[in-house]
Amino acid sequence: MFKAIIDNLKGLYSLLVGLFITGDFFLSPQKTTHYPRKVDDPETLKSYRGPLELVPADNYGNGKCISCQMCVRACPGHCLTVTKGDKGKEPKVYLYDFTLCCLCAACVESCPTGAIRFSHKVYMVAPTREALHLDLIADLKSRATKIDPMGTKAARLKVAKAEAEAAKAKADAEDAAKAKAGPAGSAGAPA
Amino acid sequence: MELSLLSFVQIIIACLLIIGLMVGNAVIMVYIERKAAGFIQRRPGPYEVGPRGTIQAICDAMKLLGKQLFIPGNVDWALYFLAPVLAFLPVLVLFLPIPFGKYLTTLQVDDGILLILAFAGLGVISNILAGWASNNKYGLLGAARAVAQSVAYEIPMIMALLAVVFLTGSLNLTAIVERQGTWPWEWNIAYQPLACFIYFVSLVGETNRAPFDLPEAESELTAGFHTEYSGMGFALFFLSEYANMLLVSFVCATFFLGGYRGPILDGFWWTFIKAYAVMCVIVWLRWTFPRVRFDQLLNINWKWLLPLSILNLWVTAIIIKFID
Repeated sequence: MFKAIIDNLKGLYSLLVGLFITGDFFLSPQKTTHYPRKVDDPETLKSYRGPLELVPADNYGNGKCISCQMCVRACPGHCLTVTKGDKGKEPKVYLYDFTLCCLCAACVESCPTGAIRFSHKVYMVAPTREALHLDLIADLKSRATKIDPMGTKAARLKVAKAEAEAAKAKADAEDAAKAKAGPAGSAGAPA
Repeated sequence: MELSLLSFVQIIIACLLIIGLMVGNAVIMVYIERKAAGFIQRRPGPYEVGPRGTIQAICDAMKLLGKQLFIPGNVDWALYFLAPVLAFLPVLVLFLPIPFGKYLTTLQVDDGILLILAFAGLGVISNILAGWASNNKYGLLGAARAVAQSVAYEIPMIMALLAVVFLTGSLNLTAIVERQGTWPWEWNIAYQPLACFIYFVSLVGETNRAPFDLPEAESELTAGFHTEYSGMGFALFFLSEYANMLLVSFVCATFFLGGYRGPILDGFWWTFIKAYAVMCVIVWLRWTFPRVRFDQLLNINWKWLLPLSILNLWVTAIIIKFID
């Protein structure tokens, strides 16, 4: 009898504690982000697992993928389709069905070259189911900061070689100019 | 009380004002409730419609007005349409004896609280009718719960009010307010704290508000007795629920919180401030406590509130007897 009364009084006290907790919450600042007007700090999204993306190897939109099919085999949801290209190791097709993906990271862990990772795309809208069937190569190309007209590794090497040659020629020209200006400068100095 | 033409006109005008108050109250309370829910859960609540979401409730009301009245098959037509009307109409009568100000009472009735308690019982009938007529198992379960709950919680409620009536020696609400002083320690809450507590718990049970919202428990009964109602049928139930909430808050303010009397400048604003403070506490309770189980609900009533209220009444009677 007395125990029941004491228990009930304790219960009443706990109700009061609950009221104070919600009252405290009522007065504290909000935790949510009001999306269209504010967005989260990108730093807080670093741990967010969005849809997969290919890791860029350079600024021309080339990836690290060697078409080894490890990710395709590791995927429990069969959401990846990778087809090797005609020449070289680079994939011709890298399709990713986000509707089947469970974001388990088995593909990311199985990749020998570290060619795929999770993106941090939080603000994503798909009007149809098909809009979630993503072409990762196209996505990678769209993120390229420099345009590669040829689009192949050989062409890229050629461009790099040409650039290196141009730089070298420029440096030579500068050296030549310095050598030419040097005597003139020393001649002019005493004047 | 003589019923002349003047008093008749007076009552008509007052009834119109009360309907306005009921509708306005529902709109304001929906906004307050949703905002409070938001803040307690640390989110902004309604935000998009109007400045800070202020006209969200009005837009919802418009949507309800425009909705199709969907009538499920095999309903009892007469009862199905009678129930929402029956839920709404008695609320008008309930507001008649409330003294908003010293002279601002629709109808000076000597047995004011008796009138309120008698007509408050009609609300339960509308719940039963709605649950029964809509030919739905959830509706019927909700109706059965509503009956058990309302019958149970009316008893300690009456006992708690009776203790105040003993103090005053009158059932007239204006007399009860007049007996209380202007300062909080002169109000009945200082003389009858236990009765005030019991009344407050039972009013939450009586108006079917969380944590005692068993008749319309969403997670168990979809919406309880008004599951099958859409459009204006639902709107009338909704309106009467908020009007009942307002009414019990006004009764609480009148009986325990000094009614229209306040530290400075007596007037109807004190009644409203106090009633809305009680309403805000009810909203606060709703977003704090989880719903009780039905046996717990009845245990609270029959094992705690009823014995305590009888004890309170008994002690009050003895003290009054010895002091006199």
